[in-house]
Amino acid sequence: MAPLQKRALYGLGIGIVFAIALIVVFIAKGDVTTFDEDLGFRLIVYALWVGVPLAYLIVVNLTLRKPGQVDERDRLIMGRAPKVQLLAVIFSLVAWVIVLTELYWDKGQVPVVFLTLIMISTLIISTLAQSLGILIGYWRVGRND
Amino acid sequence: MTKVKNRIRRLRFDNDEMTQQELANRVGCTRQTIIALEQGKYVPSITLAFQIARAFGIALEDVFQYEEAR
Repeated sequence: MAPLQKRALYGLGIGIVFAIALIVVFIAKGDVTTFDEDLGFRLIVYALWVGVPLAYLIVVNLTLRKPGQVDERDRLIMGRAPKVQLLAVIFSLVAWVIVLTELYWDKGQVPVVFLTLIMISTLIISTLAQSLGILIGYWRVGRND
Repeated sequence: MTKVKNRIRRLRFDNDEMTQQELANRVGCTRQTIIALEQGKYVPSITLAFQIARAFGIALEDVFQYEEAR
């Protein structure tokens, strides 16, 4: 397995665990309004949100910076990954719009907390989709497409 | 449809049974790329193709062959 492929696999795993953990925390705390009302909870989420990707980026950069870790084939695959990212982000935003419109149509307004949640979810999905795009790229190169 | 074939595997064995890792180190790519090349699952850039040919000390055409499928 190529170093970049390993990185993508770990990234996907870490991202899924992080996303599930966030969802579980939100469910355990009640609902999304807790995020709005509980400053402590909000700070924990912000710290996780900044800390986890930062740690991930540092580890990834340190790994991939070593000579011979990434070559032209890896760069070709990385260059194709944004297509998957774009699709994933568009679908997630469409899903948010549909769900929020249906939920809050009668009230005529959406709680401000959803702005943060949409941003967080979009960034998580974008990161996950990048890893997924890289893994799909290796799979397709393996099939000689 | 076109196909680029290569003799990398054969040439490695002809060059003191050079390992895939040794070749990868010489041309500056990963061992996985050498594996993909040998299996015909990846066509290299012209730069990498020249580097591989130089690593064996032969001409590009002696490593890579361009075939047009009928």
